[in-house]
Amino acid sequence: MSELLPALLIVLPIVGATLPLGVGLLRENVGWSIAALVLSVEAGLAAWLAAAVYGGEGAARIVHVLGGETFGRRGATENFVVGIELVADAFSGLMVLLVAGVALAVLAFARRGGPRGNAFYSGYLLLTGGLMGLFLTGDLFNLFVFLEIVGLTTYGLVASDRDAESAVAALKYLVIGTTGASLYLLGVGYLFLRTGALNMVDVSRSLAGEPEWIDGALYGDPLVLAAFGFIAVGLMTKAAIYPLHTWQPDAYAAAPDAVTVYISALVSTGGAYAFARVTWTVFTSEFFAVGQNARILELVIVLACLSVVLGSGLAAMQRRLKRLFAYSSVSQFGLIVIGVCVAVHPAGGTQATRLAVYGVVIHLLGHGLVKGGLFATVGALAHGTGARRVREYAGLAKRRPFLSGSLAVLGLAIVGVPPTIGFLGKWYLAVGALNTRLWPVIFVVFASTLLTLLYVARLLEKLYFDGPAEGAAPAAGPEPEGPGAPGGADGAVITDGAGSLSYGMIALAVSAAVLTVLLGFAGSALTDAAQPIAQAVIEAAPEVSAGG
Amino acid sequence: MVEHVVDSWRPLAAVLISAVAIALIVASHRRPNVREAWSVLASVGKFAIVASMLPGVLDGTEYRWSLGMVPGLDSEFVFGVEFALRADALGMLFALLASFLWIFTAFYSAGYMRGLDEPNQTRFFASFAASLSAAIGIAFAENLVTIFVFYELLSVATYPLVAHDETNEARAAGRKYLAYTFFGGGFLVLAGTALVFVLTEPSTTTFGATAADLAEADPALARAAFGLLAAGFGVKAGLMPLHSWLPDAMVAPTPVSGLLHAVAVVKSGAFGVARVVLEVFEPDLVGDLGVGLALAAVAAFTLTAASIIALRADRLKRRLAFSTVSQLSYIVLGLGLAGPAAVAGSGTKTVIIGGLLHIPAHAFMKLTLFFCAGFIHVETHTDYISEMDGIGKRMPLTMAAFAVAAAGMAGIPLVAGFVSKWFMLIGAVEANQAIFAVVLLISGVLNIAYFWPIVYGAFFESHDDADSKPLVEFPLGGRASGGASAGEPEAVADGGAADDAHDDDAAATDEHQEGGHHDTADHEHAGHAVHSDDQHEDHDHHGGPPPGGWERAGWTGAEGSWLMLGPILAIVAGAVVLGVVPYQAVFLELIEVIAGGGVG
Repeated sequence: MSELLPALLIVLPIVGATLPLGVGLLRENVGWSIAALVLSVEAGLAAWLAAAVYGGEGAARIVHVLGGETFGRRGATENFVVGIELVADAFSGLMVLLVAGVALAVLAFARRGGPRGNAFYSGYLLLTGGLMGLFLTGDLFNLFVFLEIVGLTTYGLVASDRDAESAVAALKYLVIGTTGASLYLLGVGYLFLRTGALNMVDVSRSLAGEPEWIDGALYGDPLVLAAFGFIAVGLMTKAAIYPLHTWQPDAYAAAPDAVTVYISALVSTGGAYAFARVTWTVFTSEFFAVGQNARILELVIVLACLSVVLGSGLAAMQRRLKRLFAYSSVSQFGLIVIGVCVAVHPAGGTQATRLAVYGVVIHLLGHGLVKGGLFATVGALAHGTGARRVREYAGLAKRRPFLSGSLAVLGLAIVGVPPTIGFLGKWYLAVGALNTRLWPVIFVVFASTLLTLLYVARLLEKLYFDGPAEGAAPAAGPEPEGPGAPGGADGAVITDGAGSLSYGMIALAVSAAVLTVLLGFAGSALTDAAQPIAQAVIEAAPEVSAGG
Repeated sequence: MVEHVVDSWRPLAAVLISAVAIALIVASHRRPNVREAWSVLASVGKFAIVASMLPGVLDGTEYRWSLGMVPGLDSEFVFGVEFALRADALGMLFALLASFLWIFTAFYSAGYMRGLDEPNQTRFFASFAASLSAAIGIAFAENLVTIFVFYELLSVATYPLVAHDETNEARAAGRKYLAYTFFGGGFLVLAGTALVFVLTEPSTTTFGATAADLAEADPALARAAFGLLAAGFGVKAGLMPLHSWLPDAMVAPTPVSGLLHAVAVVKSGAFGVARVVLEVFEPDLVGDLGVGLALAAVAAFTLTAASIIALRADRLKRRLAFSTVSQLSYIVLGLGLAGPAAVAGSGTKTVIIGGLLHIPAHAFMKLTLFFCAGFIHVETHTDYISEMDGIGKRMPLTMAAFAVAAAGMAGIPLVAGFVSKWFMLIGAVEANQAIFAVVLLISGVLNIAYFWPIVYGAFFESHDDADSKPLVEFPLGGRASGGASAGEPEAVADGGAADDAHDDDAAATDEHQEGGHHDTADHEHAGHAVHSDDQHEDHDHHGGPPPGGWERAGWTGAEGSWLMLGPILAIVAGAVVLGVVPYQAVFLELIEVIAGGGVG
């Protein structure tokens, strides 16, 4: 039964995506309820899958071949798989949990925060299905397909406010995102040309020269190196690494608040996950140990370091909150990409690999949670008070103590103040980098704490230690914490703006903050979960399977 | 001595009791009396819990709590490192001190905050309790990662206290504070911790378990780790050149300057240095690597330079802050000397005792001084030393306490400061580092030079008939006519009128904030000098004596609220007890346990 789960997780939201439109012909405003229903089932399935993966000794690897495995590998490892494999292992299992959790939680924000309409929820479910596929697929070409599904639905959701600004942002995202995906496809094409395979495991084995019809390892082949280059650039575009990040601030800032929460927590995470997956298990550390191949890794590291430094610097210069945290994502994904590269860099031993893998996995999860929580808090504050700029945050702490407290906790988590999950991720990334003795990289990783502090401290000071700006009357009068109840809120369409704060939004923000701190104490559970991944990367194994 | 470790929840309880109090304080924000009662209860409870472990610790028992004792949780915090608290002798020293002095500060701050009718009192008391939680966590942390957790939390918890006033000056000080402490914590200490973690095999950061591996590591990396950790903790300990947050942080309410920026926060830095020297690297390795001497040299420079700067500070709290910078370096100096002493083979124990004993000694004395400064501020709104002539008439008990504590600072016998300095002097000579003994003696003279004018002015001068204060009023290095010479605060300069402030702006950078003060110096005889840089504009107060001169208050406590006077007298009594019968006061006994365990 559990072999069906990976497929169900993808199919359910995609099929569910048709329902809001279909049922919408009969009744209005059913989108939210349908999405809630579908995503609750989805979350249950995700939990089931996680239990199946982690339930036994070590971590299981659950494989589902779409359409059934009629011929091909059939248990033997010599032959190639024909057909698309969906793989739930320790890595994708964790990510599936994150997607299911975030997708369900963001609904609490979208109920009042909008955007309204059945079409939105169709897109929302489709995006969830695409993300599930992105994390679960075991096939390089199929990964491209899901990247495109995610990309296209995101373009649509970004523009769902139907104003000029978001349309421009979505167009920009469309152009850059599609270019990135095309580059990725080009890289996959090169690999297919050289190995004749698309399945990740098969490509990896072919690169290592395992099949008898391949004459030795292909790691020195320029075509393979070029393939890595294209794939890296393509996926770094999706993960918004400097200088390929320019779509992201516009998209985050122009999207409706609920959409920003969702895509900030998951979409770039998908790009970074794909990069880690391909780098770690398809190319593997053995590829980078050959000849001068490590140089291309170092090139990526340089870009990632620039991303950390410039992302933080740009974030500190922003006036609008959503842009500020968008640039913060540029910086944080720089850290993650550094970790991905450090894990397979030949300068590090097994300890470096192990710690860097822990760092990447924990920071991917932690960043999704923290950044999603930050955007939820910022969105809730905007709905409650109309404040969308840093200057309008002056003295808000007195009016919105809970939301401000969440912002403070989540902001400090992104700085890396312990005991939060943000600290755990940063610690592992830092000690992992330290084990490689790549000193400039190590400096950047440690300095990122201070760089992040640049913008977080500015925000906290505004919130807590500044009176309301003179001349600028507050957008809404002082009101109690809680929904600023304009009458008949349920049926009426509420445009973006003050007065539409809901308890769901507050609950989302506060629970994100609480979870951030609680997970800060779950270090050993998280590293246990990431252990099989680390083992696979250390052994340069193509499969993440049960590890000790 | 038989060391054994018992599992106990008490270290955690000591940390968490004030964290629980935060919730209660916030919950009762509408009823100030209840709120302050929670503060007092938490402080007494905290002290009781810490003290309950004291007899065991003196007998060699260590109380340990780890995350694994919580059902369902693994004690591993990050890979290979446990989240654990352990009450050992060194930790007890700091915890006992901080929790004991918090009791008095809890009363005092209630008096202070009400006396000034400060806004945001709930936030103040909540942050204060949070800071104490973090400080005790630092004291009991069992490894570098755990200490880092609390070190960062302490930075976060004290930030609202520094920026409390919400004025531009306070916000700027808060920014500076965050920048410095996070540079020290999140960058330097974290990097040092990570380096220790990487250099040990299997990776660990537990105190007392790392020295052997570090001795075998690449000496350059081991030195780097020591440098990072010492500098990182040195930021909070006010080591130059990373000290400048501390004088600026004096914009905070005085109880904060007192307990946090003279005891809990800055001592957490000095305490961190102690952990690094005594238990991460251990004196032998510190000596072998040659880093002890470097640390001692930085400390010696700091303690001299800060004393000289203090000579020229006119704002009392600023002068005290530089005095703190200087005195903290005594502690660091003692610890740094442990390295060369271990190499020389003699004096290790003595310098360690001297350095560590200065932690409580300085705490008692400096807290007294700050409390006096705060009391003067509440009662008379006087902040500047140049306006305090004759104030002994108005606040006799306060200024008497001030005089006693100041004498202790200078190392005059029968007060706490003497004992610690004595040990350090002897130890420095034993370790063949007599040059540091000379530095200590010079610093004692400088201490007298910057404290005596205050005491003398308060008791033996009156406002209308005061000598000029050339050191604070003249540009650095004296005027072209050669009126003032450094080192003689009593010298009468010709042309007593204050110079135009613009002349000395460039030279006297430390006086920069007081530039406005110089402009108004001429008008002070009218009695109402309004400081252009006054941070309490909204309170509309004027410094200095009322028009008719200071009124006389008796020696029976008529000078102000007993809520504030009581703690002052209690603490100064403590400083004297530490100086007269150091072996009966428990601190020296604890320190001998530490020095015995760390060296023997």
